[in-house]
Amino acid sequence: MHRVLTTCCFCACGCNLYLEVEAGKIIGVIPSREHPVARGNLCLKGWNSFGFVHHKDRLQYPLIRRKKHLVEANWEEALDLVAKRLLEIKERHGGRSLGVFSSAKCTNEENYLLMKFARAALKTNNVDHCARLCHSPSVIGLNNAFGSGAMTNSISELANAEVILVTGSNTTEQHPQIARFIFDALAKGAKLIVVDPRRIPLSRFAHVYLQPRLGTDVIWLNGMMKIILDEGLLDETFIKMRTENFRAFTEILRKFDLKQVEAVSGISVEDLERAARMYAGVKRAAIIYSMGITQHVSGTDNVQSIANLAMLTGHVEREFTGVGPLRGQNNVQGACDMGALPGTLSGYQDIASEEIRKKFERVWKTDLPSDRGLTGIDMLHSVGDKKIQGMFIMGENPALSHPDLKATRAALEDLEFLVVSDIFLTETAEFADVVLPAASFAEKDGTVTSTERRIQRIRRAIPPVGESKPDQQIICELASRMNYSMHYESSAEVMEEIAMLTPIYGGVYYDRLDKGWGLFWPCTNPDHPGTPFLHKGSFARGKGRFEYVVYRPPAEMPDDTYPFYLTTGRIYPHWHTGSMSRRIAALSRERPEAFVEINPKDAKRLGVANNKPVRVISRRGEITVKVRLTDDVPENTIFIPFHFREAPANILTHDKCDPGADIPEFKVCAVRLERVQ
Amino acid sequence: MPDELILNKEHLTGFLRKIANERELIAPVKNQYGDTLFEIVSCVDDVSLDLESRPVVPPKNFFLPRTEILFNYRHEGKEYRFEEALPDISRVLFGLRSCDLWAILFFDVVFQENFKDRYYLNRRSNTILINIGCHKPMQNCFCKSAQSGPFLAYGYDLQFTDMGDRFFVEIGRPGGRELVEKWDYFFEPVTQKDRNEQYEIVLEAESGFERIVDFDTAVSRFINDEVDEALWEELGNRCQGCGGCAYVCPTCYCFDIADRPVSDSKGERVRTHDACTLAGFTRLAGGYNPRHERRRRIRRRFYHKLAFAKERYHRPSCVGCGRCVEICFGRIDMIHFIRTVCEQPGKAMKASLRLGEILLDAGLISKEELKAALEKQADTGKPIGAQLIEDGVITKEDVARALGIQLGIP
Repeated sequence: MHRVLTTCCFCACGCNLYLEVEAGKIIGVIPSREHPVARGNLCLKGWNSFGFVHHKDRLQYPLIRRKKHLVEANWEEALDLVAKRLLEIKERHGGRSLGVFSSAKCTNEENYLLMKFARAALKTNNVDHCARLCHSPSVIGLNNAFGSGAMTNSISELANAEVILVTGSNTTEQHPQIARFIFDALAKGAKLIVVDPRRIPLSRFAHVYLQPRLGTDVIWLNGMMKIILDEGLLDETFIKMRTENFRAFTEILRKFDLKQVEAVSGISVEDLERAARMYAGVKRAAIIYSMGITQHVSGTDNVQSIANLAMLTGHVEREFTGVGPLRGQNNVQGACDMGALPGTLSGYQDIASEEIRKKFERVWKTDLPSDRGLTGIDMLHSVGDKKIQGMFIMGENPALSHPDLKATRAALEDLEFLVVSDIFLTETAEFADVVLPAASFAEKDGTVTSTERRIQRIRRAIPPVGESKPDQQIICELASRMNYSMHYESSAEVMEEIAMLTPIYGGVYYDRLDKGWGLFWPCTNPDHPGTPFLHKGSFARGKGRFEYVVYRPPAEMPDDTYPFYLTTGRIYPHWHTGSMSRRIAALSRERPEAFVEINPKDAKRLGVANNKPVRVISRRGEITVKVRLTDDVPENTIFIPFHFREAPANILTHDKCDPGADIPEFKVCAVRLERVQ
Repeated sequence: MPDELILNKEHLTGFLRKIANERELIAPVKNQYGDTLFEIVSCVDDVSLDLESRPVVPPKNFFLPRTEILFNYRHEGKEYRFEEALPDISRVLFGLRSCDLWAILFFDVVFQENFKDRYYLNRRSNTILINIGCHKPMQNCFCKSAQSGPFLAYGYDLQFTDMGDRFFVEIGRPGGRELVEKWDYFFEPVTQKDRNEQYEIVLEAESGFERIVDFDTAVSRFINDEVDEALWEELGNRCQGCGGCAYVCPTCYCFDIADRPVSDSKGERVRTHDACTLAGFTRLAGGYNPRHERRRRIRRRFYHKLAFAKERYHRPSCVGCGRCVEICFGRIDMIHFIRTVCEQPGKAMKASLRLGEILLDAGLISKEELKAALEKQADTGKPIGAQLIEDGVITKEDVARALGIQLGIP
């Protein structure tokens, strides 16, 4: 038996763990004790992260659709076919008719290579990934306010905060290791403010718990800032020295009517005052937020409001403070960093800038398309009118994760040509013309970037299962068949190219990563030590920018026909579309099936009982799912996790998006419930 | 050959090298990342042994692997064919702490008291155990309170005491004697001075514990049902359900068994570590879970470690290694627990569970429903079960099933 240190494949906490290998199989994991986030323990997902690697459903060879059925094929045949079809579409309709989904589950190197493949070989900027569905508002909102869209401070700093405000993040379930630092802070006497429409487990430890109605974040955030302004709790020196547009911002804020708060959000002014004084009254206060803030049509506004609040009180630019968008997937930060986005190349370098394009063109030895590409949502919206005809989807599963699944699946069905590379035959792969078997995290080398911007290694512990191949190899082999040479000796060599072209990764080399526990970007040159907290002394954009935000309600509100709010999300034992976690025995056993959380009072009115099925119907479709009675959801609000293919919550959700970030409003839509007889 | 010997430190590598040539040698190794793990050492000269810190996970994984194939099966026509995968390997575990060795002795009882587990016993009977007494107890160690260290009186094959430039070696079981006799030229006789020095070290170690906990009081309060219900509520909220306490515990032996298909016609029956804090651990087919609420599962865990083990094996099964103390997300570790239990005033708590609570624990009704039914019951005077059924909150079958399971009636 031997052990290989790697980074966990689930959430973006970035725990390092050892894979235990015996006779070519992974038999267990051990957390690293020295790793600053893992600290000798893992969450249940982490402890069982090896459980899907040898599952019999792993794709072991390529599949090609023949007479409506996916049948076994060899690599030559499959790759030749993919190259031929993609080239045909490109020649006939232009590169812009092709779209690429990169993957927050794949490595930095693979994301970089796929976006390079899209831009240099396919000649399209239509490249995106699931950050669109989780933190695109953070990337835009925090970039507008601070100049960088990532977590401002490192995870471990939380332990020394005096006040922590958690909103729209079910931290104990989705980022358990971050919750552990919150518990550490509490043990040292810190105060906790939790603001969440669901009474999440962390709320039991909150000194102030506020329960706003869904989609009213701008209201309570503005209210909180109004209180801070009225009571003079702001940090005037900080505002004067480090920010801009404050005067215009306060002129509008001054007129904000606190009466609105209770009327719209349901939070009493007294409670909000307590929270405001608590947050503004200390030197070291941090904000943690996640998808409860971003997955709204007002997602970018919500993020800007959070940035406003942090700047107003000077709780940013310093150690143990800051704004922390908790990223979901192991490498969603990295996939953004690598430019798997329609408008930016790696390191958030604007594709529209000629100077930037020239830099890449010189190294990539080809010319690049200059217009901003389509977002993931828009790509699928553009299938109907034939603007998008072919797609390459690497390790993503829109057929379960995208909103309004009927429309999403119809779009996947309508594609002229779809190729999917994944480790399992996902719901999306079932629509594919060619399926390419990919290697899992245990079977390849690379790096991933955690939510705290920590770039870390993943290391190959076993050879690829069956005939599967790492995505890096798949992309390169495909490129060479499309007359564009992409050849690398190793993933380390890819990182060298990334470092050459990407200022924030300029000093990231494998030998450095192998020495410590990774590097925090920005790390601009080989001697740069990395940056655990951002904006030290000055914001990345120069001065932090205040921008007043006007409240906009959710796109679809309950009415007489659809009287319930539906909010969707994740649960502790499962992971996104469940393709991995539901194949891990210990995790699947924890939550074998889908459920809907309903307040007992609503259940009584409807006559539905615990554990009994109920029909949930929206304007888009319906699902049948078992009831779970709980007071954790308020009346008139139900919660359904989106992991389960048998009862996909996203059949119900709508695809109205935030105008800036194009993120769908997964957190709010209107439904009705019917008893199943 | 006497029972006590001296091994000068410069001969340790030589002794271990000889062992590694003949058997699989497992020892605590500090790797390049700074983590100390029990590793299979094929070349003693290539690794840096770490005899000063506690390995991240206990050595139990070498006896009860995290994932273990019990047998392979094949489906041929109408028949199944089985092929047992019995382990067969000779090992020496060197550098165990007393707590970890004591935990293996505990496993020895568990894995053969009723059913002789051949997989475990095959590994165990082929393994020689060499512990190093803890001359410097670490922070969070409480083996003295758990009576499993810092030095052992028996149970080891060899017990080493670090005396600076040399080890004082005590020979215990025959496996140890075999090793020493085979390579006796590494060893020297002990003097009375060595004995006195070793005795001093043991005494000093025993007085060096920062953590002292009162197992007896905790166990007795448990057995007398004197643990405050509010404590379970608090611990239930704090527990994050990671399972880590069981995965790192040297005496947690619960496992799950499942058939894992490899292809349509072939498969493996595997045994994996399990954790009693998980909801799936006690959930029955059909979905009913007698310990639906996390606080019940936490209670069960501590009950098993303390009261159950005391009744069955005459001592708690916690060995005081301190691992759970360091890793718990919610600070629900053995030290914290025992201290809290001992601090609360002793009082007789109600012993029997009421039906409402049983149904609540099983997740069949909500707190609010129970409250509403209790209020109504005050007027109607009906039994609570009848009231809940009348209110349409629950069916007769659910009540019967919950009651039956709770009372042990099938």
